[in-house]
Amino acid sequence: MGDAHALDALNLRRLATRIRMRATDMIAIQGFGYLGQALSSAESFAVLFGGAMRLGHDRFVLSPGHYVISLYAAAAETGRLDPAKLADYGKDGAELEAIGSERTPVADLVCGSLGQGLSGAIGFALAAQLAGEDRRVFAFLSDGEMEEGQVWEAAMFAAHRRLDRLVVVIDANNSQVDGPVTSVTTLEPLAEKWRAFGWRVAEVDGHDVEALRRAFATRHESAGPLVVIARTEILGGLRTIPPTVDGHFIKLDGALRAAILHELEAALA
Amino acid sequence: MREPPYQTVLKPYGLALVELARRRPEVVCLGADLTRQTETDLFRDEIADRFINIGMAEANMLSVAGGLARAGHVVFVNTFGVFCTRRCFDQIAMSVAYPNLNVKIVGFMPGLSSPGGPSHQAIEDVALMRALPNLTVVEPADAVETRQVVAAIADRPGPVYLRLKRGEIPLIFDDDHRLDLGKAQILTGGEGADICIVASGMMVPAALSAARTLAENGVTAAVINVPVIKPLDGTTIAAMARRSRIVITAENHTIVGGLGSAVAETLAEAGIAAPLRRIGIADTFAEAGSREYLFAKYGLGTQDIIEAAWRGLAINRPIPVAPVVAASPGAYAPV
Repeated sequence: MGDAHALDALNLRRLATRIRMRATDMIAIQGFGYLGQALSSAESFAVLFGGAMRLGHDRFVLSPGHYVISLYAAAAETGRLDPAKLADYGKDGAELEAIGSERTPVADLVCGSLGQGLSGAIGFALAAQLAGEDRRVFAFLSDGEMEEGQVWEAAMFAAHRRLDRLVVVIDANNSQVDGPVTSVTTLEPLAEKWRAFGWRVAEVDGHDVEALRRAFATRHESAGPLVVIARTEILGGLRTIPPTVDGHFIKLDGALRAAILHELEAALA
Repeated sequence: MREPPYQTVLKPYGLALVELARRRPEVVCLGADLTRQTETDLFRDEIADRFINIGMAEANMLSVAGGLARAGHVVFVNTFGVFCTRRCFDQIAMSVAYPNLNVKIVGFMPGLSSPGGPSHQAIEDVALMRALPNLTVVEPADAVETRQVVAAIADRPGPVYLRLKRGEIPLIFDDDHRLDLGKAQILTGGEGADICIVASGMMVPAALSAARTLAENGVTAAVINVPVIKPLDGTTIAAMARRSRIVITAENHTIVGGLGSAVAETLAEAGIAAPLRRIGIADTFAEAGSREYLFAKYGLGTQDIIEAAWRGLAINRPIPVAPVVAASPGAYAPV
């Protein structure tokens, strides 16, 4: 099902750790940014880029463009992006913008305005269906963007068309600009909502690479689209980051950066 | 050109789209529950596998169209103009216009041609679409142009907004008329015109009728048909305006941001001092009603153009009155 060069669980965990280290270095350039998103989604990106997706064949859609830092890190760690480019992340004129755009490499579609990615992924899935291609389409979404109505228009339509090539992964990190998603609106029960919309649902610990890999591997012809709800922590379980930090947009000074990298290096050892 | 009342035909767009799709397998047709109303029942019945009804979810439809276009399709998106511009502006901007994709957005029921009131009257769609980079904005004047415009916009790379009258479509031009997406066309009164009327879409027949009445009363009016509002053929318009005492624009749209605004920009930048009068909806929402009632009440009639010309030229004689052309069933006459 997945890529022939799929990594084993140990190497997927190491890839996730290296994604976090790359992201920490990128955020250090400006001293602030979307580090929490990379910390929460590192395992999802590790599993997607470490074997779940057949890169160059399957499609990848990144709906929340501010997660592009994870894409850059995963692409650099898996040989799809020159790691030297990461040093210019977010700088004026750089190819690697802090919020994804049409200039973003590697992905088939990166959105910036929230809620549009799933619809774009449906377009790819319909095109694959029309062409009789066995492409899977992976769409990465965040939990906060499910406040946008378009996500549910798309969810309803994808299930109606039984787009079984379509896989959504939701980074459910309970974080949005104004605070925890639960403090802004009630998305739960998320799994029941997607199930009610006609989707197959896998709800997993989003920091468990084995569970993510198993979830992505399930595919049943004509059974409709699959959503993997990855329950994650915005700080990725890192103990060195004070829990009072605003995870959506982290300010990173030299001391915090050193502490985070020290903790991650220990995890890598 | 033919004379009013104009004969009408049904579904020139729908027929042309089927013809195009038969030749080009990459063409797909999306709709949002208005299949017969957008003439795409023909496509649904003939080429079912490439007809996709998205349902009443225009935001989803525009972003799905973007995905299909990225995969190599030429995507025609069909619904009423209000729903495919107002309702999903961000989706058009980010999923279609910014990536410069081959999505052709087809909006029916322009301006006050809908009896459905403000919720169904696309009075600012041209302004919205004109503001977006990469978008081409096209409004044919009759069925002859509509038949040609489908293949023309499919051949033009990038996103297009196509504004179409719904229902009975008049035949104004002769069969050998050629639509050119790069050119505005001077239909009458080219040389030695006193005034210049720049019109698009449903206001073209009104402009032609106004020019006829003005000519009978000693005023020569050039009528320029503008099927492509963006990018505007400013060269043709400026050349004619430079020789005219006044310039009148006529559009079935608010006077803010549409054809009148585009012409104003052109004249100002070219340093043309001729006074400009904009015939169109005067920055107001309208109401439910027949086309005849609404066009007369909101200043979109032949007589409105004549009066603008007469006052603009400060002619010290009674304002001529356009003859009322009665349209029998199945025929079309401007208000």
